Amino acid sequence: MIWYVAKRLLAAMPTLVAVLTVVFVIVRIIPGDPALTVLGDQATPQALAALREKLGIDKPLLAQYFDFITAALTGDLGRSLVSGRPVIQEVVAVLPHTLDLTISSLVLGTALGVPLGVWAALRRNRLADYVIRIVSLVGLSFPVFVSGIFLLMVFSLHYRLFPVIGTSNLADLGDRTWKLVLPTITLGLVMVAYITRVTRSAMLQVLSEDYVRTARAKGVPARLVIRRHALRNALIPVVTVVGLYLGINIGNSVLTEIVFNRPGLGKVIVTALNQRDYAMLQGLMVIYCFLIVVTNLLTDLAYGLIDPRVKQA
Amino acid sequence: MSGAVDDTPVLRVEDLSVEFRVRGAWWPAVRGLSFDVARNETLALVGESGCGKSITALSVMGLVPRPQGRVGSGRILFEGRDVAAMREAELERLRGDRMAMIFQEPMTSLNPVLSVGFQVSEALRVHRAIDAAAADAEALRLLEEVKIPSARRRFADYPHQFSGGMRQRVMIAMAIALKPALLLADEPTTALDVTIQAQVLGLLADLKSAQGMSMLFITHNLGVVAAIADRVAVMYAGEIVEIAPVARIFSGPVHPYTEALFRAIPRIDREEQSLDAIGGQVPPIDRMPPGCRFAPRCPARRPSCEASSQALVEVAPGHSVRCGVRAPAGARAA
Repeated sequence: MIWYVAKRLLAAMPTLVAVLTVVFVIVRIIPGDPALTVLGDQATPQALAALREKLGIDKPLLAQYFDFITAALTGDLGRSLVSGRPVIQEVVAVLPHTLDLTISSLVLGTALGVPLGVWAALRRNRLADYVIRIVSLVGLSFPVFVSGIFLLMVFSLHYRLFPVIGTSNLADLGDRTWKLVLPTITLGLVMVAYITRVTRSAMLQVLSEDYVRTARAKGVPARLVIRRHALRNALIPVVTVVGLYLGINIGNSVLTEIVFNRPGLGKVIVTALNQRDYAMLQGLMVIYCFLIVVTNLLTDLAYGLIDPRVKQA
Repeated sequence: MSGAVDDTPVLRVEDLSVEFRVRGAWWPAVRGLSFDVARNETLALVGESGCGKSITALSVMGLVPRPQGRVGSGRILFEGRDVAAMREAELERLRGDRMAMIFQEPMTSLNPVLSVGFQVSEALRVHRAIDAAAADAEALRLLEEVKIPSARRRFADYPHQFSGGMRQRVMIAMAIALKPALLLADEPTTALDVTIQAQVLGLLADLKSAQGMSMLFITHNLGVVAAIADRVAVMYAGEIVEIAPVARIFSGPVHPYTEALFRAIPRIDREEQSLDAIGGQVPPIDRMPPGCRFAPRCPARRPSCEASSQALVEVAPGHSVRCGVRAPAGARAA
């Protein structure tokens, strides 16, 4: 198991280096002088030159590239041009908020989506199935900023059950959970809709498999046939989709964070964009890619737990 | 209770019809089917693909696929109780315990995410109040009984680590786990190569004689029939067209379809090597001819054949034929 993880992490290294290279090129292609951006157009040539030297952008491109790659691989993603603090520090400060939101919406999505999908599949073409399918389609079609604002209006402004502002005190678990409720529902409902649909179609496929008939022929009670024989097989495609979607979800959390005024990676990115903080953006792109790589690794590990055929390969 | 030999059949199918829905209407895939399987007897169901053999076995198990299929009418008496009228919970108690089924496709009939050992022990765990260790021990004994090499070492392996022949042995081990009174074997050797086929047939024959089990053996391979069956029922388009003891049907088939089936077998003991394929096709389920269903393909056809349906007529003790030409009603042979 440990070997498998180590092997997979090692295999992710070329991906990361490729990503770093692309990020490096993109940032160099963007027009504009970072030093000028930071110091403004009133700055003296001496000050600009000094800043360029400090940022390392006076060196030849190839040297910059190697500096960037080696620094990035050792965890040094540079410093923000605006605050002057290391990018890593800025990210670590808000990362728990983003992870809270992503993970809680994933848990909500799985906890509701899988049973709903199974139920819809078992009631195929009957009322429950139609209702679930229509509601999940509506859930998928609603943009996060619409459902988020709707939830805020109803539960925060009208009933005053939850706070409008989502900035929470990380050390206070109650406060942290309380402020997580509405954003989780906002982001989680999309996830519920998505997982429901994938689970339904996977279950329908698995229920017609020969081995499900074999299990019934053994006299295994229907509930056990569904849970033990059908669902475990149906979860294989579900894990694939959830893994892919989790990556997208880290990005989707941007809108939710803005609607609920929560700190998080999304807001950091938008702020860096507005301030043209290239060093920050560069670092953030690398961190996003790293998170996606980790997500993929977790997905592969989940496969290994469900499907014995994976371990062999 | 008096100690007399119990001669009620293990399975008695009476006037069974199984229907499928095609374009909004129900059509019988199996019609007016009646037969018995006695204790310790093997009845072979023979016929082309799509003649209703597998559907017959599935209806005995209560596994006709829903909602597109249903048992339309008739009774399926298993040990005296009508399976067709049972609720699902009652069926679950019978399945895998008193009656069991082996399927045609060993590659897809085992669950890929559960270990072979668990799948064999599952029926024991479901039907008997035994702990996991006892179930595993019994499952291991069964795997050894069906001659899985180094069964102990392979107990925790998964189906993808087994060959087709080994998987079919696992299927057999699962099916015989609780010593069923009736084993339904749906082309259990069709997907296997010839040497493995012979081994599996030998294994089933041994198990049958050791446990006094009855078998409904479905196949389209007449060589397999000769090796394993006591009696043979030939099916065509959802009906039995001829039923007889195995020696009789091989020595003197009466129905033109049965004859045609035998002519379609390659023989190595004959000079001429022309194989007689049966011309034409089985009519589709929603376009059955009103009279004899085989009439459109039959070499012995007469105009009257297509007018009215034929009755199954006994031509000799234990030998019945559905043919107005070869076995006309009321003209029973001695």
